[in-house]
Amino acid sequence: MSALAATVAGVALLVGYKPTPAGSASPSPTPPPRIAVSDDDAPVGAPAPARTPAPTSAPVAVAQSGGTKTVTGKTVDTIFGQVQVRVTIQGKRIVDVQPLQLPFDRARSAYISQVAGPMLRSEAIQAQSANIDVISGATYTSMAYGQSLQSALQNN
Amino acid sequence: MRRVRDVMGMPVTADLRDERPDAAAALDALYAELERIDAAYSPFRGDSLVSRVNAGALDLARADGELADVVALCRRYEAATDGYFSAWRGARFDPSGLVKGWAIDRACRILDARGFARYFVDAAGDVRTRGERAPGEPWRIGIRHPVERDKVARVVLAYDLAVATSGTYEKGAHIDDPHTGRPATELLSLTVVGPDIVVADVYATAAFAMGRRALDFIAARDGYEAYAIDPDLRATWTSAFEAYCEPVTA
Repeated sequence: MSALAATVAGVALLVGYKPTPAGSASPSPTPPPRIAVSDDDAPVGAPAPARTPAPTSAPVAVAQSGGTKTVTGKTVDTIFGQVQVRVTIQGKRIVDVQPLQLPFDRARSAYISQVAGPMLRSEAIQAQSANIDVISGATYTSMAYGQSLQSALQNN
Repeated sequence: MRRVRDVMGMPVTADLRDERPDAAAALDALYAELERIDAAYSPFRGDSLVSRVNAGALDLARADGELADVVALCRRYEAATDGYFSAWRGARFDPSGLVKGWAIDRACRILDARGFARYFVDAAGDVRTRGERAPGEPWRIGIRHPVERDKVARVVLAYDLAVATSGTYEKGAHIDDPHTGRPATELLSLTVVGPDIVVADVYATAAFAMGRRALDFIAARDGYEAYAIDPDLRATWTSAFEAYCEPVTA
């Protein structure tokens, strides 16, 4: 740390690393990011189905059309409420992760759900495409999110 | 070898990249230590030391051994943060804000003592790294973007580093300004990096409660840098923070 009196060296708008991937099951002009679902070298921030214990309950609802499959993860309880996600997979790629349930059970959860929905969603996808080992930030509900996601992938 | 366990009420990940046959045993020892710490210091366990203190069955002034060390650390950082970090709410003792980082540090010491030199330990988003993720490659730690999907705000490149983030975006405005008793709302998240996870974690919590003055506080601390995101999704950082980061590509 320098001894500069001025402590704030930079102020900038947050800049994302990539344009928003087209996270949709329908055909898209921009290919979604390649994500190896079963890659042993997947970064830690990513779900790694092969290395984690199986969830205690099976996921539900696999729907398939053409080469696209959607898998719904199990519902996971958190201190804020229940979390459940649905994953859309094309071949070996995750192309979309959609939260089906996020907590609403407390007053502050209204805020959490409002803000955390898209944020949680970014974790599952960006963590892989950005090649991150680990993410720094609050993770209470994202743990449940990850568990639901894993249960979906394991039963893919 | 990587393992994730729910312990101390949060997910804790330990990832060892040293390929050694005793890695599993080291992880067993690491999580056993975290369980021991939780049993001793959890405010949610009726038989913990902390609960006994609050029940009047144990006098902090007469605490000895490890509990005395923890109390001393709490007092030190309360003073070092102008009271923005405090383990006391009135008469109630809750060292959780310190114990989290301290537990990570204890876990890392177990790995160090066994000669592991390439690993990280992550407790609910507070991370201590050591060595390299792969030969010649630093660990890559994403700072969670508080709102935008598919994005991290920055990527911190780390060898031996502690990274702690306090934020309101997921747990709600959960950090109170101890001087007003009201939730701190001026920032969405504050990330602190530096050599010591106990310090980084306590500073992140305390400075977050300071709001916009957070960066001034961290900037005045040798060896520590910070990156803040405010509700307008503007990021502000201390002068040398950039040195830890992967350059941003548009």
